[in-house]
Amino acid sequence: MDGKKETSSTSQPFLEVKDLTVYYTVSKVDTKAVNGVSFRLERGKTLGLVGETGAGKTTIAKAIMGILPTPPARLMGGEIHFDGQELTALPEAQMLKIRGDKISMIFQDPMTALNPVIKVGDQIAEVIELHNSFSKAEAKKRAGEMLEMVGIPASRYSEYPHQFSGGMKQRVVIAMALACSPDLLLADEPTTALDVTIQAQVLDMINDLKKKNNTSMILITHDLGVVAQSCDDVAVVYAGEIIESGSKEDIFDHPTHPYTIGLFGAVPELDTDEEWLHPIEGLPPDPTNLPEGCAFSPRCPNATEECRAKRPVSREIAPGHFCRCLNITKEA
Amino acid sequence: MSVPCIEVKHLQKYFKVRGGFLRATDDVSFKIEKGKTMGIVGESGCGKSTLGRTIIHMHESTGGQIFYNGKDVTKVNHRELKELRTHMQIVFQDPYSSLNPRQTVEQIIREPLYLTRKYSRQQISDEVTRLMELCGVEERLRLAYPHEMDGGRRQRVGIARALALNPDFIVCDEPVSALDVSIQAQVLNLLKELQQKQGLTYMFVTHDLSVVRHISNDIGVMYLGQMVETSESKELFAKPLHPYTKALLSAIPSTNIHAQRERIVLKGEITSPINPKPGCRFAARCPYATPECGKPQQLEEVLPNHFVSCHRCREINEL
Repeated sequence: MDGKKETSSTSQPFLEVKDLTVYYTVSKVDTKAVNGVSFRLERGKTLGLVGETGAGKTTIAKAIMGILPTPPARLMGGEIHFDGQELTALPEAQMLKIRGDKISMIFQDPMTALNPVIKVGDQIAEVIELHNSFSKAEAKKRAGEMLEMVGIPASRYSEYPHQFSGGMKQRVVIAMALACSPDLLLADEPTTALDVTIQAQVLDMINDLKKKNNTSMILITHDLGVVAQSCDDVAVVYAGEIIESGSKEDIFDHPTHPYTIGLFGAVPELDTDEEWLHPIEGLPPDPTNLPEGCAFSPRCPNATEECRAKRPVSREIAPGHFCRCLNITKEA
Repeated sequence: MSVPCIEVKHLQKYFKVRGGFLRATDDVSFKIEKGKTMGIVGESGCGKSTLGRTIIHMHESTGGQIFYNGKDVTKVNHRELKELRTHMQIVFQDPYSSLNPRQTVEQIIREPLYLTRKYSRQQISDEVTRLMELCGVEERLRLAYPHEMDGGRRQRVGIARALALNPDFIVCDEPVSALDVSIQAQVLNLLKELQQKQGLTYMFVTHDLSVVRHISNDIGVMYLGQMVETSESKELFAKPLHPYTKALLSAIPSTNIHAQRERIVLKGEITSPINPKPGCRFAARCPYATPECGKPQQLEEVLPNHFVSCHRCREINEL
């Protein structure tokens, strides 16, 4: 949330991303995945990154984690300040120490995030051994405890991923991410592959563990319901830009950007009876050929000539509530 | 009442596996009135897709009966099946794998028309034009291949193909699960529009409860191959009676940040459908389970038109 006034005592936010820009270049064609994203995150808070497929959410997380596949990815600019360090300037040797220890990531698909030929317990122990001066036996013991913590009996330490159900595999991935009590957790669609009753279990568990360790989290999802349940702040991503951000209350009670409003209109709600849904017409823009002005202008019902010509800047429309739209000057 | 479009009685589909039978659909009975939508919800592996596919004879049922417009179509020969296929169709979940990547949009949509051998070349071409327009597929995409289109358009092509032979019953097997929300709404509206225009009857299989509530008149909740509750859609959401339905509905993350809802978080996970124990299959995870639950359960009309398969249902809900 660019320019947001600090409320905590520290002047330096725990995580600050400034003007992050990432392109993927294939055959000399630039895919503009992330275009100048800035936000801040305080310790112990959860930020929800919401957006559709291809909006650039996962790329943002991978950039913070320092695991962009380079090439084809290219970090075109921007800074990532994490706990007093500038991550984009760090040499890989130092990133290795931070990754998995201070910052860790829960990947979307538990079916592919685990190594099929290594025992699940050993996969967790590996992380612990790498980042602590534990002996093999100690690491194993700790891995067993991690399994118990996510609700899997330690007796299943020596089983392989295929012997686990989807929900259990996702829990193993979570145990792995939390094994070193990270300060920052990047959760990329952690429950998308799961059924609702299992999703409820997993979300509850992540929230509990987060509270216990005062972990900050970036939760990436396309499900507005999940955001409503687990986040403090929300940033809506469209075509690699944050088009609206603010507290959960700002976004859910006073959605302002036409895209955010469109997203809310497109999901069927549980407590209202509407005969027709209100889809957003058209399709997200092609990231290799973004429109000149506002990226949403081709689909926007209120677009003017100005919108099509000029790229809007993010403006504060209420304390802490930012919106990137030319037609909105102050809070409606 | 008029003859329902689809009625199934004690429908059963077992798959033979090593060590016994996988009871994908076990003793399921319900009917769908003409022009209505029946939503089938449940978690992955509960047999909801198998149920849909068994009804339209993509799988051969292993027991029970299927009626189409009052006629018993449980066992059909090859010729009858061909005829039946013109009345019953399916829209698949994944628009990426259900369209032949080497066929153009036109070829995909005209295939069913060709197979009937009833139409001339010109008629087929005109019909493809009509179907594309009906489903909102732009004429310029006529010669496009599936990989050139986005998921929403592909799903429209899948719907156009299903409508080619003018069926009156369509099984929609998770038709919007693979799509982004903004596109999902476009496809849901299209399905609803087509239903109103052509009087289609849908069986809508999905795991997404807000979608099913939006589109269905009636809803059946499945758990491990069995129907645990059926009711009119709004009634089900307002007054879920089966313990599983209660937990399922309470687990949906609501976009209303101010609503204080009590959530029931279930313990454990869905058990195996291979050789299940007799009695209620939800008992292992049910907070209300008693030894009595080991006896076979039947769907029972607890409230008017609201069927529940739980012997403690009245007691739990204080009815």
